[in-house]
Parts: sequence; structure tokens; C-alpha cells
Amino acid sequence: MLVARGDSPKYPFTKDAKEYIDQCNVSVEELATIEYAQIIDRAEQRIEEALINGSVRYESSLPDVEVLSFPVAIILVASIGDDFLKRRYALAEAIRAENLLKDENNDKLMRIIESYFSWRIKKVSIAQNQPYEYCLSFIDYIKNASVFHEDEWKLVNKMVIGGYVFLRKNDVARLAREEIQKYIQETVEKTPKLDLPKLLNQRIERINQILTKRKESFKMDELPKTAIIAAYPPCIKKLYDSLLIGQHISHIGRFSLTSFLLAIGINTEDLLKMYTSISDFSESLTRYQIEHIAGKKGAGTSYKPPNCSTLRTHGLCLKPDELCKGIRHPLTYYRRKIGKIGMTKDE
Amino acid sequence: MSTDVMAFIRRKFLEYYSENSEKIPMPTSLPNREFGFVIFRERMMVRHKGFINGAEVKAFLKSMTPMDAYYSSAYYERPEEHMENKGWLGADLIFDIDSDHLQTPCKSEHDYWICESCQNSGRGQQPELCRKCGGSKFKNEAWLCETCLEAAKAETQKLLSFLQEDFGFLPQDIEICFSGHRGYHVHVENEDVRQLDQVARKEIVDYVLGTGLKVEFHGLMEVGKSKIVEGPNLFDPSWNGRIAKGVYDFLKTSTPQQIEEIEGIKSNKSKKAMEHRDLILKSWNKKARWGALKDVSFRTWVKLAEYGLKKQTSFIDTVVTTDIHRLIRAPFTLHGKTGLKAVSISLEHLKQFDPFVEAIAFSKGTLKVNVNESHKFRLGNEVFGPYRQETIELPMAAAMYLLCKKAASPVE
Repeated sequence: MLVARGDSPKYPFTKDAKEYIDQCNVSVEELATIEYAQIIDRAEQRIEEALINGSVRYESSLPDVEVLSFPVAIILVASIGDDFLKRRYALAEAIRAENLLKDENNDKLMRIIESYFSWRIKKVSIAQNQPYEYCLSFIDYIKNASVFHEDEWKLVNKMVIGGYVFLRKNDVARLAREEIQKYIQETVEKTPKLDLPKLLNQRIERINQILTKRKESFKMDELPKTAIIAAYPPCIKKLYDSLLIGQHISHIGRFSLTSFLLAIGINTEDLLKMYTSISDFSESLTRYQIEHIAGKKGAGTSYKPPNCSTLRTHGLCLKPDELCKGIRHPLTYYRRKIGKIGMTKDE
Repeated sequence: MSTDVMAFIRRKFLEYYSENSEKIPMPTSLPNREFGFVIFRERMMVRHKGFINGAEVKAFLKSMTPMDAYYSSAYYERPEEHMENKGWLGADLIFDIDSDHLQTPCKSEHDYWICESCQNSGRGQQPELCRKCGGSKFKNEAWLCETCLEAAKAETQKLLSFLQEDFGFLPQDIEICFSGHRGYHVHVENEDVRQLDQVARKEIVDYVLGTGLKVEFHGLMEVGKSKIVEGPNLFDPSWNGRIAKGVYDFLKTSTPQQIEEIEGIKSNKSKKAMEHRDLILKSWNKKARWGALKDVSFRTWVKLAEYGLKKQTSFIDTVVTTDIHRLIRAPFTLHGKTGLKAVSISLEHLKQFDPFVEAIAFSKGTLKVNVNESHKFRLGNEVFGPYRQETIELPMAAAMYLLCKKAASPVE
């Protein structure tokens, strides 16, 4: 067997690692033989760690096993084909890489990022009173950081000069995690479901058991069947009230309200009645719009209500109250408020 | 508008397109853009049009003579298909600064509303419900206004500082357009921005509008045991400098009452700040010594900074920039509400740009019109009006403006 070199065991998704994996040229049938048992064990472990701990450890003692178990784990995850598992596994591997990247020196971190990502990133010479070590093209920055919720990650709270965002090392590693997670998830999606040898199927059986348990613990509380107006967040309540008194609501406002009401379980017909009875909206157009948002028209994707950040951007977040603090989505507000005002599912 | 007036406007528009269509620049990647037009006869938007080349677009402008012409900021594989089948390939980054959304003091003079059910009308902001019939649907109209367009231009200039200094876009990536009516559009066209999704574009919007900005991330803080206030300098880059400038500008121009109006600032604090105003302003030109005034607390500085930064933002339309399928008015086509043309303006020229001169499309001849009612307005170097129920011969551009605004009709 070839020996995995350099950083491949740490970063098995890089080009170097891929080359090594290709050179090893192991078929799926061979994997099931005793010779590769260690690799299969580690692959299964990787997935188990992802499910239970949310991150995968770095096992440095057997570099070859550490590299080769990665593609095997991908094959297993793809074969199970569960979306929750795919996401969770990609995230856990990405966290593993993030933690390793944080411990690399600046040159090494740059090398890994440059050779793997197409990011435009530069090292910043350390000057007095400035804590930054890197600057990253703001385009690459927002592609990865726009999903973060903390204030400090918002572009508006960063130093942005000439198209570059100034960052510390840990920030770069955290952003790299996003890119790696996306990459791994895409790889899993692209990997075909293979006909696996029996031995591997047993492994899959075991993973499936853990998966079922984990999924149960993540299950969200169901929402009550009827809409509880008293639990609407202030932004939605304002839109709802405007609708009731026939005031003009902007397009984005109507979209937010409709998608929210659909999400809490109001059906298309009731919503249509609500819209048309209190104003002179045309029934066919309103029906089209509601059904479009519900995913019954067009591309078939149902639209989720915008999150708090988007509502803020469009000036729809008005008078947030105590409960709004620390909440990122109007549906979370609704759920919590219901809990607070003591409504149960049967009410 | 009567069909006669509409037919007249359309004839003039046809004249314009017949004479000028060769000079109308075409967008890049034309075959991948969706076009949309408002057609005179139906007065409705025709979308999902695609063209192979510029000659086809020009031929269309001449044969159909639309009231308004738009193309998509987005690129598609199949621009003529319905939205879900178009195959989105990317989109330019666009900004819209509309003076309708700016808080200018002249709104009550030139904005008016018409109740859709009883045609009752009035100046300024529309009421919640019509006082005459209780109706809730209104049409909003506005006259062209120099103050508003100057305000929109100032917002555009601030936007350009964000685009160039912060985001590093090059002059050749940026196109500025006067819309032909109430505002300015800015298009950024380069490979990097094309692929940005709505969420990423939202971050750009929030940056330009200062949404979610926390001053503590821009160097405003208390340092050490003695809690000396430190903050950014006037000439710092990025938002740091803008925050310092916001406070500086505010102190320079405000009265103690204005300072007290900021929520959370007590009168003794504002007096302190005012007493030392000259000292603060003078010293800040070198280095912003936020801590030099021990009497002004950190909390007060934060309040001042949060207030002051609002004027440093650029008031862009949030929906336009985050919409990755948006249609935007095609430069050098006519605006159906004014008879002016949308014009693109070079970065260097923006400051001197005069929309009331440079956007004139109909510069030849005069027309006798019956004016119902019109405000005072300038077009070219002449001032017109106000008019009320009178017949008057006007230069063609001024006449067309009143016709398009439905305020006049041609005398046979």
C-alpha cells in the first residue's frame, strides 16, 4: 500500500489526497475483505462521530486509514441517502477541518486555502494596533458568511477596503468550514448509490439505528392546527393588521405574510378568502400568488417565510419585543410564544 | 388619458426611436437577457421577450414603439421561457435610488394621490383611507422636482463611494443612469458579482444602508481601567471613517435641542458636548480624540455615533438589489411618465449632470397644449408654469412632459 503524505490525512478532500486515493485504486468489492477492515471501521466511526458528537476526530496514528476511510464514509453516507445524515456528516467533517486549520501557521493555512479553494485571499503584514492577518475578497466573504447569524459576521461590521474584508486567522478557518461543508455535501450528492457487499450492508444497518435515534431527538414540536393570532410576532402582526384594514402592503410584505400564514398551517382556500373578502384583490391573481408561494404552481418549491434578518433589511421588522431578542426567525417566535402563553396542541 | 393624447405621444415616441435607435447602446450578453415593454395600447407589461441581437431590439422599438422598455439584470439560458424554465445563469448587481423614498421637505408640494374609487385627489402623502369615499386604494403621482433629484444624486454619490472605496469596483464595472423620472440606477457588471445569490446581495444592501451595524465593531470602545473612550478617525477607511464623519458632521451642524432629541441623551450631556464643540471639531481633523472630553460618557458617544451614521448611508431600494430577476429600464429609451430619456452618465460627469437638460429627448419644435393643471418646472434652461386651465404653446419637451403626466392635451 502507498503511504499517505503531507496533509492528506488531515484534509482528505484536497487534491493531493484525491490523487493518493486514486492511486490506491481499491474497488468496492475489495473493501469488504479483511485487509481493509481497519479502513471500514474508521469510516463507520467517522459517521458515528458525526451523528453523536457533531464533529469528527483527527486520528493521526494511522495516516493511510485516515485518508482512505474518508471516501468510504462518503460511499456509506450516499448509500443510506438520508438528507439529515448527509448534512450532518458534511458539517462534522468540515468542523474537523476547521479545527485543524486553526492550528496551522499562517503560511500553511494560506497554502492549503490557495491550493484548494478559488478564494482571493492575501496575507496582511502585521501592523501596530491592527489585529488582522488576512484579507479576503468581499465576494468570497459574503458567499460564505452570509449564512452566519452573529452580528460580528455581518459585512457591515467588518473592515472592508478596496474589495477586501480584513480577517483574523480563526475567521478564515471558520469561513473555510463553510466551503468545505458545501463541497463535501456536493460530493455526497454526486456519489451514486452502489450495490454494496453484504459486509458493508451490516455497517449501514448499524449506522441507520444510530441515525433513527438521533433524528428523534431533533424532532421539532408540532405546531397547533389552528392559527393563534396572539402568538404572531410583531412584524407579522403589523402586516396582518394592515391587511385587515385594507392598507397597502408592499410586495415583499405580502410575500412575508402569506408565506408565514401558510407555514403555520393556514390552507390556501382560507387564505384566499381572507385576502379577497377584505379588499378588492382579484381572486385569480391572488390564488396564483398564494399557490405559487405554497409551491403548487411554478417550479413546485414552497417558499419559507423570510428570516428576521431579511425582514430587517426590507424595513419590515418593526418594534421587536422582548421575545424577539435572540430569535432569528418569525416561526421560532410563534413557536415559543405559543409555549409561553400556554396553548397546547389540542386547543 | 384620452386615446388621442396617447396616440400623439406614441407618434412622438416613434419619431424618437426612428431617429435615435441606432445610437441606443445595447446591453452585454444580449441574447441571454430578458426584455420587457409597457405597450401603449394595452398599457400593460409584456415580459419574457428575447432577442438575438441589437438590430432586432431596435427594429422592435421602431415597430412596437413601447411606452417603456426594460431588460433583465439577469442572464438566462432561455430568456423567453417562463421564470422557472429560464435557466438562471447569473445577474448584474443593481441599485435603485428613487427620490420617492427619500424624506425631502418638498414632498407635500409635488406628490399627489388619486383615490382609485372616487378620483378624489390631494397633495402630499396619501391618507390611510379616502376622506370622501373611505376607499383604501390610491394611485400616487409626483411632479419632477429639482430638490428631490439633487437628493437622489447625493445618495448616488454616497453609493459610489461604497462601491469604489469599500467594494473595490473599478470605474469600468459601474454604469450610472438617470431613470428619466425620479431617480438614478447604478449597474455593476463584472464576473464576480454575477453568481451572488439573494442572501449574499442582502449583505451588500445591509452594508450600504448600515442595517445591523454595531459601532463597537468599528473601534468605538472604552479602553483600560480608566475607561477612556477611543474611536475611529475621520480619515479611516470603511465604516470606521464614516462613523467618525457622522459624529463630526452632526456636531458641526446641530443645536443642543437636536442633540437632546436623540433618544437617551440627557440635557446636561448635550450641553457639555456643545460647550466643547469647537475644540472637538478642531482636534478631530488630526486625530479623533473621543476620550478628550471626560464629561461625555461612552453611552452618549454611542448614541451620537448611531445617530450620525444614518446620514452616511446611501438610501437604496432594498428589494431591487436583492431581486436577482429584476427588469431595469434600458438606458437611452424613453420614460412613459415624462417623455424624458433614461441616460447613462459617466462617473466623472455625475456631479455636473443636469437631468432637466441632458435627459431631454424632444428638443425640436413647439406644441400648443391645453393645460389642466401643472406645477412650476424647469426643462432646458427655461422655467414653465405653474399653469391652470390655460392654452399655451410650449417647447416640445415641456409639452411632452405635461402630456405624459396627463396634465395637458394637444390643441388640434
